[in-house]
Amino acid sequence: MGADPYQTLGIKRDVSQGEIQKAYRRLAKKLHPDLNPGNKKAEEEFKNVSVAYDLLGDPDKRARFDRGEIDASGAERPQHRYYRDFAEAGASHPYATDAGFADFAGADDVLSEIFGRGGRANLRMRGQDVHYRLELDFLDAVNGAKRQLTLPDKSALDVTIPPGTRDGQILRLRGKGRPGIGGGPSGDALIEIEVRPHPIFTRKGDDIYVELPISLKEAVLGGKVKVPTPSGAVTMTVPKWTNTGRVLRLKGKGVPRPDGGRGDEHVTLKVMLPETPDPELEKLIAQWRPASVDAPSGAMGV
Amino acid sequence: METDEFVAHAPLDAEVLEAWIEAGWLLPRQDGAKRNFYDVDLARAHLIHDLERLGVNSEGIPVVLDLVDQLHGLRRTLRDLLSAIHAQPEAMRRLIVADLRAAVLDRTDGAAQEGPGSDEHQER
Repeated sequence: MGADPYQTLGIKRDVSQGEIQKAYRRLAKKLHPDLNPGNKKAEEEFKNVSVAYDLLGDPDKRARFDRGEIDASGAERPQHRYYRDFAEAGASHPYATDAGFADFAGADDVLSEIFGRGGRANLRMRGQDVHYRLELDFLDAVNGAKRQLTLPDKSALDVTIPPGTRDGQILRLRGKGRPGIGGGPSGDALIEIEVRPHPIFTRKGDDIYVELPISLKEAVLGGKVKVPTPSGAVTMTVPKWTNTGRVLRLKGKGVPRPDGGRGDEHVTLKVMLPETPDPELEKLIAQWRPASVDAPSGAMGV
Repeated sequence: METDEFVAHAPLDAEVLEAWIEAGWLLPRQDGAKRNFYDVDLARAHLIHDLERLGVNSEGIPVVLDLVDQLHGLRRTLRDLLSAIHAQPEAMRRLIVADLRAAVLDRTDGAAQEGPGSDEHQER
């Protein structure tokens, strides 16, 4: 059984709800531990006042109390710690501030050492972004890869290179930059990607371009040839009578796109004579009698 | 603690929490996509709730919070200063106390001379 809540609030039993609120507010302002951090006794008194108001501030509960249906102890408050218990403890929370005496710092060198803790500490600031460069092999950029960056402080940063990464692209690793101030979020790590050229592939957007040598026999009679693509070699059919410069398209063998699709690979064919002169071929061509005069340079007006 | 647990313990619901964070009254620490709350945030939420019960409106609450935070900063520094003085040798402590007492006396004398009606006491 608690104390009489009317007595705690210093009011008569027949006052209006408004009077009860007024009485509570008058007392609570004086007693709230966070508004009177120097008053250690205030906490117990404030608790009693709060318990009394929890009961009488609610017209229903007040009526039931007046009828004797509940007693004052029915309104126990869950224990909670007050803000002052934390706020004064140290500067390690985001609300800590030295603003109350920031002006002291300029007054004297000694004082500025004591008070000049960098001004207002509860200025919550996001950490700075840090910039890095990362050089990648062509195929690692196209197919995706994992890399590890060593940071100036010797710590390692794992970087996942998404498939389809372009030269000059900047990867953002959220929260991997400098730590924030006053509980602010960390900055980001921004990694600028540089892609080394590839000896056979070139890239335009999501498409890959490659030049493929084929033999004279393949060019004339057609056949199956092996073609390199970024994701491995594939077999392609060269049609009969294929000339140098003809472009065949391998659909979906280009660069992966974020939407799950892929660009194409464009294969430019280049007819190659055998490396070493072949007397048999020479004989064959010498016997060959084309139907019309076979001089392609005539098309250029010479 | 994360958002759900905080809402369960604090005198507010999720919507009010968002509003208080938006207003800068509560500053949870961001950990990637997750928010982290500590006991100090819980105690501050109780303080804000109590202030509302005291009739402080939403314009007044940040003013009170700011002053309370400044007060705590001052108290913390005063406490540090006192413990530093306490750690000094006895002779040094006496010197500091004597200087402080002189400063307090200066201030009260000055106030008496400048205050209203001080003329009457000039020739005492």
